[in-house]
Amino acid sequence: MNPKFTPTEFITTANQALEYSFSGVLIEGEVASYKTSQNKWVFFDLKDEESSISCFIPIWELRTPIEDGMKIIVRGLPKLTKLGKFSITVQKIQPVGEGSLKKAYELLKKKLTGEGLFDPAKKRPLPENLSKIGVISSTQAAGYADFIKIINARWGGLKISVAHTQVQGLDAPDQIIRALNYFNEHGDVEVIAILRGGGSADDLSAFNDEALVRAIAASKIPIITGIGHEVDESLADLAADIRASTPSNAAEMLTKDKKSEISKIRLLIKSSRESILEKISHEQDNNTNKIKQISRDLTSKFQQLSDYLAHQIKLLEVLNPEKVLKQGYAILNGKISPGELIKITTFKQEIKAEVKEAHERTN
Amino acid sequence: MSEQTNLNQKIAELDKKVEWFHSDDFKLEEAVIKYKEATKLAKEIEKDLNELKNEIEVLSQDFTK
Repeated sequence: MNPKFTPTEFITTANQALEYSFSGVLIEGEVASYKTSQNKWVFFDLKDEESSISCFIPIWELRTPIEDGMKIIVRGLPKLTKLGKFSITVQKIQPVGEGSLKKAYELLKKKLTGEGLFDPAKKRPLPENLSKIGVISSTQAAGYADFIKIINARWGGLKISVAHTQVQGLDAPDQIIRALNYFNEHGDVEVIAILRGGGSADDLSAFNDEALVRAIAASKIPIITGIGHEVDESLADLAADIRASTPSNAAEMLTKDKKSEISKIRLLIKSSRESILEKISHEQDNNTNKIKQISRDLTSKFQQLSDYLAHQIKLLEVLNPEKVLKQGYAILNGKISPGELIKITTFKQEIKAEVKEAHERTN
Repeated sequence: MSEQTNLNQKIAELDKKVEWFHSDDFKLEEAVIKYKEATKLAKEIEKDLNELKNEIEVLSQDFTK
């Protein structure tokens, strides 16, 4: 016998069956008839060429802007309402395809820019001489492996704490937010690196999740992102303090290169040695100049003395008595008074004579 | 004190020592001793840089819930 239900019983039983069979079902389609009610509830249809399903989500759980015509994928719970209307209670939404992703990106960027979330004045520099780094990434991702390889090659002695999370898909944003909260609550790292290698726009769309972008902007610990490639710019990048173009680039920005550091240290030692040699050379020059000056002073003094002696010798020669005698003069010794004997010396003779007369000359 | 902090301190100390050679405090009589000290420190830093390994810990926390 077939079971018999009241409408309420049937709706309850049907919802249990739906929850059992389709819990967390993913449905991809195009948004139509998007509307909000009382600024609290969001209603829209998800359609394809033939069918349409009603969807519902509280506005505070809507983490990416949507509008009619956008392609999205939703995860939700199918339900019958008390009035018997079928709808999906949406838990997660992600735009799909380049056009929808771009549109959602632009809408959210405009909104968050208006709130000042990307204000360059709020950006913090990376701390110098890092010793503790937090990493949020999938440990299976190539981007993570690149980061670890580069950082190990460049520097040592770092403590790196890794929070393993999904980095793509509907669950990635919440996992990354939990990891951000973990690091911020434990406060044991100086910087947090959020890393993911390259991928399609769909793969990287997790990094345009509004709640994640807000969590990055609100982080007490400075954040560096290394997401995708150089050309991929996510809203997470804009909210971060520093944007690296790739995970490898993030490793380069976080660390000095030990090879460069060793070269720098060798140059420092070389410059010290050159400084010593320069000072020695300077001292030598100083001493040489001093010796030259002393030599010049001595030569000058010697010349002065030599000139003086020559002059004196000439003077003595002029005063030499022999020279005077030779000119015909005579030297007279003895008392000059009449009757006294005196000695007269000429150049050639010595004469003894008696003084006959002496009187004063008149000039 | 972590190895990293110790290394950073050594680098800062070396910078300070080298600075002396270019300062007005330089004295030729002290230079040889100071140069030997700086060279010894530089060798220690090179050794640290070449030998220090990073410590990587994957957290056990489950971030899926």
